[in-house]
Amino acid sequence: MNSTRSHKAQKVLERMGKKLNRQIVGSFAACVHCGMCTDSCHYVLANPGDPTYAPAYKADKIRKLFKRHFDWTGRVIPWWVNAKSVYTDEELEELKDTVFGKCTNCRRCSINCPMGVDFATFNRMARGLLVSVGIMPEGVAVVSKDQWEIGNQMGVLKEDYIDTLEWLSEELVDEFGDPRAAIPIDKKNADIVYSINPREVKYDPRTISDAAKIFYLAGANWTMPSEGWDMTNFGLFSGDDDLGGAVARRLYEKVEELGGKKLVISECGHGYRSTRCEGQNWAQYDLNFEMESSVTTMLRYIHEGRIKVDKSSNTDPVTFHDSCNNARSCGLTEEPRELLNLVAEEFREMYPNRAENFCCTGGGGAMSMSEYTPRRLKSAKIKADQLAATGAKYVVTSCHNCVDGLSDLIKHYKLGMKVTQLVNLVAEALVVPEKETAVPVEEIPAAAAGPLDGYKILVVDDEPDFVSFASAILEDHGASVVNAFNGNEALEVARRESPDLITLDITMPGKDGKQVFESMRKDPQLKAIPVCIITGQPELRKLIYDRSVPPPNGYIDKPISEESLMRNVRKILEIKQKATK
Amino acid sequence: MSHLLHFAEHTLQEVALLIMAIVYTTRLIWLMRFKAGKERQANTGKGDTSSRKGIIYSWANIAMPWAMESSRKKFFLYSQFVIFHLGVVAAIGLSFIIPYAPQLLGSQVLVAVLQVIIGAACLIGAYRIIRRIASNYMRAISSPDDYFSLVLLTVWFFFAFWSVPNNTSGGETILLIYFFMTAFFLIYVPFSKISHYLYYPFTRYYLGKTLGKRGVYPVRRYSEEARS
Ligand code: SF4
Ligand code: SF4
Repeated sequence: MNSTRSHKAQKVLERMGKKLNRQIVGSFAACVHCGMCTDSCHYVLANPGDPTYAPAYKADKIRKLFKRHFDWTGRVIPWWVNAKSVYTDEELEELKDTVFGKCTNCRRCSINCPMGVDFATFNRMARGLLVSVGIMPEGVAVVSKDQWEIGNQMGVLKEDYIDTLEWLSEELVDEFGDPRAAIPIDKKNADIVYSINPREVKYDPRTISDAAKIFYLAGANWTMPSEGWDMTNFGLFSGDDDLGGAVARRLYEKVEELGGKKLVISECGHGYRSTRCEGQNWAQYDLNFEMESSVTTMLRYIHEGRIKVDKSSNTDPVTFHDSCNNARSCGLTEEPRELLNLVAEEFREMYPNRAENFCCTGGGGAMSMSEYTPRRLKSAKIKADQLAATGAKYVVTSCHNCVDGLSDLIKHYKLGMKVTQLVNLVAEALVVPEKETAVPVEEIPAAAAGPLDGYKILVVDDEPDFVSFASAILEDHGASVVNAFNGNEALEVARRESPDLITLDITMPGKDGKQVFESMRKDPQLKAIPVCIITGQPELRKLIYDRSVPPPNGYIDKPISEESLMRNVRKILEIKQKATK
Repeated sequence: MSHLLHFAEHTLQEVALLIMAIVYTTRLIWLMRFKAGKERQANTGKGDTSSRKGIIYSWANIAMPWAMESSRKKFFLYSQFVIFHLGVVAAIGLSFIIPYAPQLLGSQVLVAVLQVIIGAACLIGAYRIIRRIASNYMRAISSPDDYFSLVLLTVWFFFAFWSVPNNTSGGETILLIYFFMTAFFLIYVPFSKISHYLYYPFTRYYLGKTLGKRGVYPVRRYSEEARS
């Protein structure tokens, strides 16, 4: 039989033997096929009648290999216990579909199994085995590669990261009229080293400046590292312990190099779990500093009176979504609620909650696996119903992955809710002491000052409503705006008008945004014009970033607000200015 | 009592128990040969939990139907589980009472209690067979061993039920079948899914240890009813 087994199948089996530990073997051996866990999985609930989503069914796809090769009954009478081996790459591809595409490793079935079978843990192991032979969804390969090679999972370059921090620092210094409000980079012996998710740099810099405001007003002795700042860890999702260990080690070593006393991890479920818990095991690293979630830090600052908050700044009803990694793998359930009650007037609990909450469906790296998007969105019905039942306007979550997952499902199910994080609400509720209030040198309202005076911006989108909305905002801020409603028109207008910036939709009839973008980047006349992608389909980001041309200069998810559009446009134009100086 | 029944009640059971003990020990040694994963991280969670608390909670989980959503929502299944396992304990106990303390069965109360428990377990076994065959979810996860183990136990319960009075006046057939089945059951168990109770303390120990360390166990639950 061995001679007919593919090289990859052979490797998977060999490596499986090395990965087995007592916990995993126990979980393989203990399942009695009672079916108690079936209804705990959101995939099952959203696909009634389809047993292939049942946790025990999915688990058996991996368990059969264990039984066939490592368990005596399965070795002697395999058919009796459904023990089976794997021979071909096609079979491994099928396994990939299950372990990556039908499970978010949310661990909800694990806490509902009377036998204590921890399926999520051995599902991760199976992912790692497949990854080790190069079988994985493309998105997993891309993100893992970025994290191995560039040091963060979104491929953010060091200069972009530093640029963003400097730009945010300038804004903070302006806002508070105090140079101490700037973000300290690589400060030695700080009490706090603050680590973030690269998504914050790329799509949500407001979370960084909100955190910086909080640290500043709390008078914290803090810093952000210039390298080793990414607290996310794709090793958790891909099951690759080597990647997990390398990423965690990078972060830990940087904190030690800076002599930091505590590593504070910004709001991110898998980042918190990977950095705070699993990373030390993967990296076999014993730490000499403490770590905590920024949620705990913010709460402590309020308790200690270092910052003051006024919940009347957040009057809309809010609910809280527990990230699976925070709640079911790290026990971070009470602090966020306590904090939320301090900064928002109306907190509405969702049910079930805490460790029993349902996955946002974007977990386990699902947001990077675009091939499974329809399946993910279908299973998101369970979460959508949970959210809708609260009647809240905002869903708050302490996880960037969940922000993306929830935003996507809210759009898909037309729930009309907004997603935000605790750091944003805390920053919103901050009471700035008089002495700290900056008196701007020139008090000119942003709009009246026309910060975009003299800039010409091309807005490309096939939705006329969006074009009018974005154009009105840009014109209100002083820009002259030209429009295009499809790809060909966009290229034509861009060549004719030579704008300073192009905002580009990805999905358009005819020549779509991806092709237009590539054409622009390859066109000598247009290639230097900054492009900001604006799309309602965040899962398509990858298609843009994967192109062999320089990446776009900015990225905004629809629906956009005036604030997000202006922040991104200003940032891109400032960067352009610096580059041309 | 015939020689055959005496053999079945004594020598056969003792040999079967010995084989089971040897196989179980081998099984445990096999399991212990796998290294236990080490956890380096400091505790997470609210600070009022620990690995120890988590382990105790995890072991006690099975006796707390409110602790897991699955047992809360499927209370009927949970009750079946309790009765079925009580039936196993009673039927195994019977195989010791009859040869070593038959006088206990002079108590009509004990006979009635054992028969009620074992009879109920037998009915539940029959229901479980039907459920396993009728539900496509259950069929999808069932192996021949799952069906066989369930049928074996249900039939064994049936003969155990009729063996409780330990009355040979109508013939020894029922008792002989019960004791031969018990011996087969003891020898078969370590090779089948019925051996799950051997693994149960381990899986729950490790899950409890991890989730206790991370403040997930004991699970904090705020039910819909508790909504203020
Ligand atoms: S994983 Fe647990 S709950 Fe699910 S079928 Fe197996 S033993 Fe039952
Ligand atoms: S870990 Fe979560 S997604 Fe995966 S099978 Fe279990 S409940 Fe379903």
